[in-house]
Amino acid sequence: MKLEVKNIHKSFGEKEVLHGVSFQVEGGRALGLLGRNGAGKTTTIRILMDVFHANSGEILFDGARFVPSKHRIGYLPEERGLYPKRTVLDQMMYLAALRGMKPGEARESAKKWLARLQVSEYEKSRLETLSKGNQQKVQLAATLVHNPEIVILDEPFSGLDPVNSQILKDVVNELIGEGRLVIFSSHQMSYVEEFCDNIAIINKGEVVLDGELREIKKEYGRNRLMLAAENLTLEELSEKVEREWQELAAVSGKKKEFLILELRQGKERSAVLEKLAGSDIIVDKFGSYEPTLNDIFVMKAGEQG
Amino acid sequence: MRKFGIVLKYELKEYFSNKTFMGLTIFLALLGMVLLFLPRFVDMSDFTGVKIVGGETEEKDGDTEENQDRFLYLDQAGVVRDEVLGQMFPDVVWQAVPDEEALKAAVEAQEAEAGFVVLSPTEYRYYVYNKSMTDRNASMFEQAMKTFYRMDYCDASGWNLEEISAMYDVPITMDWEILNKDSGSNYWYCYALVILVFMLITYYGQMIAVAITNEKSNRAIEVLVTSTSSNSLLFGKVVAGAVSGVFQMGVILGAILAAYQVNREQWGGMLDRFLDIPAEVLLAFAFFGLGGYLFYAFLYGAMGALVSKTEDVSKSASGLMVMVMIVYFFSLLQLTNIDGTAIKVLSFLPISSYSTMFARIAMGTVAAWEIVVSLLILVLSILGTGFLGAKLYRMGTLRYGNPIKISTALKDLRKSDS
Repeated sequence: MKLEVKNIHKSFGEKEVLHGVSFQVEGGRALGLLGRNGAGKTTTIRILMDVFHANSGEILFDGARFVPSKHRIGYLPEERGLYPKRTVLDQMMYLAALRGMKPGEARESAKKWLARLQVSEYEKSRLETLSKGNQQKVQLAATLVHNPEIVILDEPFSGLDPVNSQILKDVVNELIGEGRLVIFSSHQMSYVEEFCDNIAIINKGEVVLDGELREIKKEYGRNRLMLAAENLTLEELSEKVEREWQELAAVSGKKKEFLILELRQGKERSAVLEKLAGSDIIVDKFGSYEPTLNDIFVMKAGEQG
Repeated sequence: MRKFGIVLKYELKEYFSNKTFMGLTIFLALLGMVLLFLPRFVDMSDFTGVKIVGGETEEKDGDTEENQDRFLYLDQAGVVRDEVLGQMFPDVVWQAVPDEEALKAAVEAQEAEAGFVVLSPTEYRYYVYNKSMTDRNASMFEQAMKTFYRMDYCDASGWNLEEISAMYDVPITMDWEILNKDSGSNYWYCYALVILVFMLITYYGQMIAVAITNEKSNRAIEVLVTSTSSNSLLFGKVVAGAVSGVFQMGVILGAILAAYQVNREQWGGMLDRFLDIPAEVLLAFAFFGLGGYLFYAFLYGAMGALVSKTEDVSKSASGLMVMVMIVYFFSLLQLTNIDGTAIKVLSFLPISSYSTMFARIAMGTVAAWEIVVSLLILVLSILGTGFLGAKLYRMGTLRYGNPIKISTALKDLRKSDS
């Protein structure tokens, strides 16, 4: 099961908002679609769901044209909403039936998902009587009620407290474990790091970075080191490195407890070790630096923002 | 088709589980029945002309003194003949008074309903406390005065008034042979049915539009359009609204018609012109009235999709409302000219055939091919507005904010189709 988005362009009126978005994701893996507000994540997802039509480009599923109506897709839109005046179970069964389930199956599945998300007690309540967090859980249950093979979640964690976020995290992990194809967009990088094998960062309608998260982290950490000293503050250490190690490395960032150094072209880590050994710096922390997704995101989406 | 059925069932459940909707239906049906059963329990003989005696009905007895009005007269010219007054005013007890002041005081104290002072053979004064809009006493008394005059004149001239009257008002017998329609008797229920369709369209059309706007305002629409086709959604919603409207009207009208049939005798048949509708007219109404209702229901549905707040629905649907009202008033005006060119043309247009064609069927001359062609145009137009409405609904899905003008929506639709 492989979904490929290839060179999607989309304009609203005269304004082009997607300039050739491409990425791919396979079953049993999750893709994190990242981007700042207005970057084009939701538009991309809506094109996937056929809510909008792309001006050009193609979407393929296992090599053939992707037609959403021919697949079982669980879609949690950014604009949340169900019927506030109808009971929870009633509308879940309705959505399951619309997505092809028979009434008996629909009831069973709806009850199963409500139980899984710990909102069974509200199945006969009108949606509007539930708290925002519980409404969000019902919405997620409604997204998954028909056992979708593809799951697309647009900002699924917004509005959830830490306990409910944990329930959702477990559910998403189960979905991935069951071999479903999961795409989700989020601003919360920690969740993306937790689930996603692949990421695509969209900035101003373009994919500025995509690929396997582990490789991306490795690549972005390749020439970077972390360094902290017992006898110097970070400012003093930074000044010293800038002054004395100019030909070897540059300070590329500063964290709370250490500096991030970037090796100059052609220089090796061993050269830094030698330099350290010959200096008066009492090493507190030293090692390879692996950037967080947040660092990478700020680097890619922030630099052009 | 299966998805349409699912949407239809779900939407119908929404209407039928709505306590206000069902409560109003039952209340209005019961109210109609209670009103029509009233003559069985309350003396309404003044209104219906039928009196209930011991559970049996009988025509109102005009001779009972307590049922009769009391009129006074003062004859200053010496021309009044009591037997003529008795014949012309069978439900009135006449009493002569000695002077005009006494007559006026009695009328003012409402001891008598009316008073007449005959000043000369050709002049009189009429006293009444409150003159009603339907007061015919003065014109009837005028007839009586003319009769007094003719009688006195014939007496003075030695002529026989009865002979002259027989010659002057020779009775002519006539036998009606209506070969096609009786517009006179069909007019009132046609009028009532045109009003009924108008009410159905405006009331339930608005309800359908609001139901669709609600889905945009509560943000359920994106989940729905990604779960099934917009055709299934719009057709399901509109047909559910239409079925509910027909159900509600059907229950209310059915209760009223049934109650009237049971109590027709007690009403003296006085509501026949509204409620005794021939089967073929009801059939024409079922096809054209309901067809027109569906046609407009789809348009109202599409208008609902063009706004995102329920308070904007009236604004969005105002153009449609104006069109419905123009057709409504024009149809009512044209009922008196049922075979005119204007109504013939309108009876083929889907915007107006719902009222004009069925009025022509009920009251005018219409060929079978005309009915078939008009119905065909209406059915195709319903499907056309259905699919157009579904496209507008789909296009309006994620367009929040200011209401979208129908011209802009159609332009955008053309652009996205090309």
